[in-house]
Amino acid sequence: MSQEKKLTRRDVLKLAGVGGAVAAVLSGCGPMSRYVRRKPYTDMPEYQLPGESVYFATLCRECPAGCGLLVRTVEGRAIKVEGNPQHPVNRGRTCARAQASLQGLYDPDRLAGPWAAQKRGSRAGRSLSWDEAVQVVAQALQAGPGVQFLLGLVPDHLADLVSEIATALGAPEPIRFGGLALFEARQTLRQAMQAVIGQDALPHFDIANATFVLSFGANFMETWLSPVAFSRAYGHLRRGRPDLRGLFVQLEPRMSMTAASADKWAAVKPGTEGRVALAIGRLAAEMRDGVVPPAFDVDAETIAAEAGLDMALLEKIAHYFATSPRPLAIPGGAALAHTNGLETAQAILALNAWAGNFGLPGGVQVLPAAPIYEDRNAASLQDMADLVRRMKAGQVKALLVHGTNPVFELPAGLGFAEALEKVDTVISFSPFYDETAAQADYIFPDHTPLESWGYQKARVGTDRMVVTASQPVVVPLYDTKATADVLLAAAQAVGGEVAEAVPYQDEVDFLQQALANLMDSPDGIYTAVTPKAFWGRFLQHGGWWTKEPAAVQTFDAAAILQQPLEVPAPQFDAGEFHLVVYPHPILGDGAGANRPWLQETPEPMTTVMWNSWVEVNPETARELGLRHDDIVEIRSPYGRVYAAVYVYPGIRPDTVALAFGQGHEALGRWAEGRGVNPAKLLGPHTNAAGDLAWGRVRVSLRKTGRRRPLARKEHLVGVYGDGVAQ
Amino acid sequence: MSSEFHPRNEEEARRVEEMKREHLLLDHRPRAEMNDMVMEAVEDTSREWKFAVIVLGLLTAVTLFGAWGYMMLKGLGLAGIRRPVFWGLFIVAFVFWIGISHAGTFVSAILRVFKAEFRRPFTRAAELMTTFGLAAAGLYPLIHLGRTWRFYWMMPYPNQRWLWPNWRSPLLWDFFAINTYLIGSTLYLYMPLIPDLAMARDRSTGWRKKVYGLLALGWRGTEQEWKHLQKGIQIFAWAIMPVMFSVHTIVSWDFAVSMKLGWHSTIFGPYFIIGALLSGIAAVSVVLFTVRATTKNMRYFIRPEHFDALGKLLLIISLSWAYFFFNEFILEWYGGEHTIKEILKFYMFGDIAPVWWTMVTCNFFIPGLLLWNRKFRRTPWLMFLLGIVVNIGMFAERYVIVTGALSRNRFPFDWGWYEPRLVEVSIVFGTFMLFFFLYTLAARFLPLIPVWEVEEGQHSHTWRRIGRAILPAVSDLESLD
Amino acid sequence: MAGGNGHEEHTKWVMVIDLDRCNGCGACVTACAMENNVAFVGEDENAYGRGMHWLRLQRYWEGEGDDLRVRYIPTMCQQCSNAPCEPVCPVYATLHSEAEEINLQVYNRCIGTRYCANNCPYIARTFNWFDYEWPEPLNFQLNPDVTVRRRGIMEKCTFCIQRIRRAEEDAKAEGREVYDGEVQPACAQACPTEAIVFGNWRDPNSRVRQLAASERAFKLEEALGTEPKVIYLAGGRHEF
Repeated sequence: MSQEKKLTRRDVLKLAGVGGAVAAVLSGCGPMSRYVRRKPYTDMPEYQLPGESVYFATLCRECPAGCGLLVRTVEGRAIKVEGNPQHPVNRGRTCARAQASLQGLYDPDRLAGPWAAQKRGSRAGRSLSWDEAVQVVAQALQAGPGVQFLLGLVPDHLADLVSEIATALGAPEPIRFGGLALFEARQTLRQAMQAVIGQDALPHFDIANATFVLSFGANFMETWLSPVAFSRAYGHLRRGRPDLRGLFVQLEPRMSMTAASADKWAAVKPGTEGRVALAIGRLAAEMRDGVVPPAFDVDAETIAAEAGLDMALLEKIAHYFATSPRPLAIPGGAALAHTNGLETAQAILALNAWAGNFGLPGGVQVLPAAPIYEDRNAASLQDMADLVRRMKAGQVKALLVHGTNPVFELPAGLGFAEALEKVDTVISFSPFYDETAAQADYIFPDHTPLESWGYQKARVGTDRMVVTASQPVVVPLYDTKATADVLLAAAQAVGGEVAEAVPYQDEVDFLQQALANLMDSPDGIYTAVTPKAFWGRFLQHGGWWTKEPAAVQTFDAAAILQQPLEVPAPQFDAGEFHLVVYPHPILGDGAGANRPWLQETPEPMTTVMWNSWVEVNPETARELGLRHDDIVEIRSPYGRVYAAVYVYPGIRPDTVALAFGQGHEALGRWAEGRGVNPAKLLGPHTNAAGDLAWGRVRVSLRKTGRRRPLARKEHLVGVYGDGVAQ
Repeated sequence: MSSEFHPRNEEEARRVEEMKREHLLLDHRPRAEMNDMVMEAVEDTSREWKFAVIVLGLLTAVTLFGAWGYMMLKGLGLAGIRRPVFWGLFIVAFVFWIGISHAGTFVSAILRVFKAEFRRPFTRAAELMTTFGLAAAGLYPLIHLGRTWRFYWMMPYPNQRWLWPNWRSPLLWDFFAINTYLIGSTLYLYMPLIPDLAMARDRSTGWRKKVYGLLALGWRGTEQEWKHLQKGIQIFAWAIMPVMFSVHTIVSWDFAVSMKLGWHSTIFGPYFIIGALLSGIAAVSVVLFTVRATTKNMRYFIRPEHFDALGKLLLIISLSWAYFFFNEFILEWYGGEHTIKEILKFYMFGDIAPVWWTMVTCNFFIPGLLLWNRKFRRTPWLMFLLGIVVNIGMFAERYVIVTGALSRNRFPFDWGWYEPRLVEVSIVFGTFMLFFFLYTLAARFLPLIPVWEVEEGQHSHTWRRIGRAILPAVSDLESLD
Repeated sequence: MAGGNGHEEHTKWVMVIDLDRCNGCGACVTACAMENNVAFVGEDENAYGRGMHWLRLQRYWEGEGDDLRVRYIPTMCQQCSNAPCEPVCPVYATLHSEAEEINLQVYNRCIGTRYCANNCPYIARTFNWFDYEWPEPLNFQLNPDVTVRRRGIMEKCTFCIQRIRRAEEDAKAEGREVYDGEVQPACAQACPTEAIVFGNWRDPNSRVRQLAASERAFKLEEALGTEPKVIYLAGGRHEF
């Protein structure tokens, strides 16, 4: 598009040494032209032969895990997403979301160019030119300290670039937040790690090499942190080693898709997970050597009764935890989403401390620091609440949103939408008309990820340093523009210090400079002598990572065991039922709701497609006179929604569950007006680490008398017997 | 001949009168008079008749061909079928019409071969049902195709691609069985029609005369012609029987040779045949009642004795059906196969239970209980109603077998259920309209009564006095040659 | 082997699915659809039971209350060696390929009798009830190696035969044999837990051959004699 450099394919191949390359990865086009072109047959670029596939290694940006992809293109069209077999995070594997990412690229409802809304919330507006758009952004940047960038969870190049711009502007640090942040409790994990090993780092759980996995509500095979990497690890846990089948127990109030694969799912009472961990610790310590550390000085029987678990079961779990060679306890998002979440996380990590598995294979590991740019933490809900407060106080003059959809995702109790009204200028860089874009003054659509340059650092899900490359696999379909380029141009227009702080020609120039110090790192899988050659290899391999896993870094975590651990009782709002909200295993945080084939892929536990449902225990359903497909009103102190009942055997009778991801009011034809958004039921409360304590919310159900058959793959009578619905 | 029989006293005279009223074949009338009666019926193209033809024709055009065309354009999804019930009302109606088509052959071939004399006046009415029933049935294999416009790929025809149909497929057997039966039964309808067409030719004028003349193939009624005709009919009567049995057996094989539980049953061949006869004979009583009520002079030819005879036939066929049904059901049940039990449970208590119970009630309980009653059998309108009831039952039977069995399979996750939708209901309704339309047309163009057969019967029926009793006597004309 | 001189034995493609690895995530379902241009039909048609999924995850509950368990069985066309769908098609639209020993579905020969679907004990077949839409530019992603099916015809899992053919042709062009693991159907390629493995049965060293030697190996409805070419490894479960 912008600049074509004269460099023949032959040169590039020589430089990159593709001659006998193993994979049919052609990234050579990268250096010579910034974009692959779709051209008539008579004028095909030399690497584009009719009928021949060309593969590009790139990055999956459907969730923050950062898997590497190979995208098959034929004649300039992206045809199929495959995993990059060499990529250390996913090793050639992909989830459903990555598979359907092409449908984001080719979404018919994408925005075709820069656009100014007539007024916020209105679908009327006018198109702008990119020059005008850059002027608007430059104007917004003039607000200096009043500028707030709001980015997605992905730790990518844009976050690094925007940080530099924000620093130069004197604006606050960009905030990185996304729907998944509501459920992953990243901040809680970090703070618990700080308490246990004295290091503020996101833990990585080496499930593959463990022999007994005890997960407290971690939906690690669905959306949690790095689901494909964890799924791969799960496969290895089960059948990757000859004659050793790792065991897996999951404790959570609702059987998640992850728990469905466990040897044992135990429906623990919500909020008691931390105390249960301590009880297991005590029982295990008694079994192993009889030395009960002060941290585990609790009465196991009381806790078992309190958690609604069988004492015998706790003893069995403790037995395996004590005797299995490499036990691993995982504090998952669902267990930490209570007001006592931080203490719960510490109690669960204390089990690992007791097992002494920190830094070891099959234990809790910490990745070395990112090789380029320092790590920036993703925001917690508390940070978002602070932002809302600042917005309400009029301190935020310009809000620039990229890669996240807070209007849709944030709990209703937080009041983000109202606070947004106090912001003078709201600019969305979303390629789709999502809920936040709908509330923006301007939408300057970025390319979709498969049309974009970039990199992303993997922070979890792998055992080494990884920087994944993102490169366009097709020419951008519409008049969209990379947000990095827009910001760089705007910075130039602002001039002065700001322009000097980001002296990059364009996005690719920034990337190349950012990656420069990796060029001759001896640890990398390749080295190069010139930046161009390095860039070529970076794109060809789909990124840069080290040859070897990071050196084993052991920690002394025993200190945590030497003091009593207090897990306070969780607080709950008034209401009849506990509410479990979990990210839809297929749609993720809801950004996938506009991909028709994600909607069409049955949700694994319920097989429901294209809609929302509320899971109710069969016993509870009987008491309330509810049947499958009855529509109920679900009311919390913060709002109410209506959803069809799914009588779900895998949930406690005192709990109901809703999947997060549907209920869009914007985002195109396949997402809009479909299902409900549980964020409308959630309050603003957090745990001590500042992560959302959605477990605090309790709801009541009311039968409406209406019915709507859910689209399911299963047959109701076949699966649940006669008389369930019809 | 009866004219030679002289009653000796009044009581005898009364008795003779009574027997004449009862039996068509004893109630002799001159041939000329019967010819006139039949021709009067044929030429009675009243306003009501014209109205009926137009309405039926329009209904056929709209509900059958209109709906079919629309469905072809939009896709088979307009019908209610869905995974895993891939066959629905179309196949149900297909089997139903094949069943109806068994009536004619049974009446005119089997009853002829076994010399059941009561058959004589209505062999043709029944044969017409065979032809038109097959016409309706024959549409369904086309209607139910996903790509109807490619139906000819089922035919073996030489082509450059060297493609040949698959002779292992029961659908192909169907294709040929139905065509054979259609051709055979049409010829068998036509042959006994020739003398009557000649009669019509000699008694009509204008275009009718031309058409009848053409169709009568120059029949003059010479002894040689009669001899050949009789021989031909005799051969065909024997030859068409195995075709008739085979056609419904092959239709049953569509199901029985499959791997589908609930379909894969060795008894399906005879079970389907007996079911076909049940619905066919029941349909004959419906048609006879209708013809008798709407066509001139038919009360002479079609009498309670005929309904009585049909009733007895129906009774024994209904009992036979029950026997086969019982065999099929109870033995499957005893087999204890899990999925089979699920299917049978589904039949009796599942969504399809109302249809299944309708089937048992209409096919067995109602006819089985009522037909013992002579008075019932001899009341034409009751037999008409019963005919409809039995046909509802037989439609239900096919519905249960086709859609019910498909609803349950070896994977409970993938069970299903089927609900017909408007388009397919319309098409099925449309084939009924087509049948009525064709029959109504034929009723005013073809002599519905085979006059020569009736005359032949009347000739062979005489009176005998044995002691004090007066008894009808039958001489066997047909075996003379 | 394919790619040889043609006189040797044909390949026999086999799929092994380890149910102990399978976590039911559904990536295979989406991957299959993306590779094979499988149409999406929307909520109402799915609610009516007309989803076009070539591959479905059967989810069964076992036990209840505290002993509740879930079993997933990814089920697709089992590519039977003795396939019930084949003899019933009047026009040979579904037939056995001698080269790959899999069941072919010839879309442009199919006339839509749907008999094959009725006779399939695995309910593996789906029917194009309508012409399904890929609104522009969604149609750009359609795989040029796979026919886009029109209304009125049957479809089903093909073991990604386009990938088999591609690998065989590549191998032939390079004068070698297809190596184990070279052919991966979309589902096997995506599967995050590596539960699905694909390979040539006639290669004695192939992974499928080794995995199928497990005592956990079974086939769906084996007693029917359909000789499926999808082999499942039973999921283990530790009693707690």
